[in-house]
Amino acid sequence: MNFAERLADIRACMQEEKLDLILGVHDGGHFIEKPNPVMVLSGFKSLGPAAALLHADGAIDLIVTPHWDAERAAELCPDAHVVGADDVVDGALAKIRNSAGVGTSGLRVLPYGIASRFAAALPSARSADKLVFDAARTKTSEEIANARAAARIAERGYERLIEIARPDMSEDELAVELKWHMKTLGAEDNFLLVCASPHNRAVQPSTGRRLQAGDIILAEITPSCGGQLTQICRTVVIGEPSDELVRKYRLVVHAMDQGIAAARPGVAVAEVCRAINAVLEAEGYGEYCHPPHIRRRGHGLGFASVRPGDVALDNKTVLAPDMLFMIHPNQYLPETGYLLCGEPVLLTEHGAAPLTQQKAALAAVAG
Amino acid sequence: MLTSQPTLLIGPSDWDAEVMPKAEFTGRIATLWGLYPEAPCAIVYGDRVHHGELAYLTNLVPKLEAAVALLFPDGEAELHVGGGPNMIGAARPLTFITELKPLRGGEAIGRRAAESRARRPGAPLLIGGDYMPTALRQDIVEAIGVPPLDATAPVWARMRRTTVYDQLAMFNAGGALGVAVEAIATAWEDGSGVTDAVLAGERAAHDEGAQDVRTLFSINGGRTLQPFTMPVDQQVDPLQVYVAVRRFNYWAEGFYSISDQPQPAFEKAQELLRRALAAIRPGVEPAAVEELVVSAMKPYRCHPVTERALVSRIGIALEEPPHTNATMAFEPWEFCSVRVGITDEAQNHAIASAMIRVRDEGLDAFWSAAPNPIEGRPPWWNKDAG
Repeated sequence: MNFAERLADIRACMQEEKLDLILGVHDGGHFIEKPNPVMVLSGFKSLGPAAALLHADGAIDLIVTPHWDAERAAELCPDAHVVGADDVVDGALAKIRNSAGVGTSGLRVLPYGIASRFAAALPSARSADKLVFDAARTKTSEEIANARAAARIAERGYERLIEIARPDMSEDELAVELKWHMKTLGAEDNFLLVCASPHNRAVQPSTGRRLQAGDIILAEITPSCGGQLTQICRTVVIGEPSDELVRKYRLVVHAMDQGIAAARPGVAVAEVCRAINAVLEAEGYGEYCHPPHIRRRGHGLGFASVRPGDVALDNKTVLAPDMLFMIHPNQYLPETGYLLCGEPVLLTEHGAAPLTQQKAALAAVAG
Repeated sequence: MLTSQPTLLIGPSDWDAEVMPKAEFTGRIATLWGLYPEAPCAIVYGDRVHHGELAYLTNLVPKLEAAVALLFPDGEAELHVGGGPNMIGAARPLTFITELKPLRGGEAIGRRAAESRARRPGAPLLIGGDYMPTALRQDIVEAIGVPPLDATAPVWARMRRTTVYDQLAMFNAGGALGVAVEAIATAWEDGSGVTDAVLAGERAAHDEGAQDVRTLFSINGGRTLQPFTMPVDQQVDPLQVYVAVRRFNYWAEGFYSISDQPQPAFEKAQELLRRALAAIRPGVEPAAVEELVVSAMKPYRCHPVTERALVSRIGIALEEPPHTNATMAFEPWEFCSVRVGITDEAQNHAIASAMIRVRDEGLDAFWSAAPNPIEGRPPWWNKDAG
């Protein structure tokens, strides 16, 4: 599927739902878990609040802030009519004559200061979130190419971590260096969680804590290329890993393998989670397969759509080719603490294909 | 200046009591109660995009999930951190507040605020409420039972009045900015392509301890600016850059144009910048400075990037309130970024800026794209200013 075909799908759905216009709005606060309807409808990753208006005839208006970013938007989105605005609400509403027949997307997660103005101005508008994000549940060929590029960068970022992580370096210093390194390789953004402890309770943003021998470093490395995130989850020990840590890490890798094997077209996402849990439950870790220890076993990858959603027991979404998502057991075990292990996978006709060259394996650096 | 907002804030943000003592925060909070003596509590929201008010009152800059502070007149303070109980450990080093709890939704916050009305029956204060997701805000307001009082704007007004600690942090940010811009210039002179040069600047700022660095650059001689989206190997002359550096929670920003050729447009922008700086003093309105600059701009016109943004107050927030009101006169000890951008709408474009501290009489320019912005002061980073 390419971008034009996706838009054609959305327009077909608009016709079915008797929508004359879809208004997608995003505040520019790009976040891994916040889907972006402006990117779905226009492909543009904005600096500030932006809106994309898809009309029934296929015409697209793109309202961007700051106003001076309009020229860049026009170059990147040659088929859209781009307007630079000081205020996204005023700019978008100027393009809407009648709120009847308008579907909105993205309003639910907007800041109140923006969302409340749209809600007041468009009282008859209906939510079109499902329509927009379902249409983007599978990735376009361009998004897949970007995901592959980001996966390569993520792996090189991980190699850099192995190269430079050492005792007395702070988590912040390590994270800053990795982010910078991956930017030099082409990552325009990075959801990079790096933390360490002899016994981690979870993966967290980095702090000023200094690394020590015996620490287990958790790295959730998530670079973005062309607005498409890809993630790898890795675990590194400073010094010699204990036999128990080696055994437990093999267990979570095995659980991940079972999850990857379970991911096939026609299968519900929940089945992937169930396959991972089954491995851990068989080893007596059933109570650790639920909150507060674990919320999900993977997730979709934005910034545009985050479909197919969380790899969780309550996700009934049926997997289809060209869906892109993470499979990560990322398990807390009482003996070792939290362990990160995860791969980005692209669903093909034959199953889930990891985008990485090297599967997660416990690594060690000098202590 | 608005730049690409990263999906996660990465960089040193731990609270350092030597840089910003707890007394600074308790003093700010006490001022709030002085303004609102009837208020039983203040609800302060911040997320990784909008957090100026939260950082001002608690030092917390949320790196990942949003946070809500509940502040009470008796000195009690709670921070409710998003992302579940496992995120508490990562948030703890970022603030002086010791009572950290998982953020359990708006209803719990609203109920806690409502309870505090047993001691003082006034309306709770809401700060940063417009940045909240709608559902969170609605749940809070419904659980309180009375409409909260929006106290965001008065906090912005207080943020303008800096203390010596704010000023030292700003000078530190300005120092890192100077190092970053010099590194970009050096890399460019050594033959680096556009993004390699810009990344050299980012790296240099990080080496200076920067908490965050944001950049924009131009590949068309300064006509338009763009964020990093992919490596750009080409070399351009001139290279117009924008760099914003955050250190100890405070931002400094600068526009500069690098070339080995004479740059009439940049020289003109520098001259206009010096004019602007010469006119700034307490009591003067930004509109008057803008008029002065525009009247001397011919044959150029305002650059779109700096149009309507000649002066921007800056500090703990980069691109959020307190927005500059053109008729809000300069005040002593506030920090501003002064930007002059010009274009002939053909081949010549340039933006030059300065970071200033307004003084009782005049100002300090502690970073400037114009050599000798004020007579007798050094061109880049004024190391004596701190």
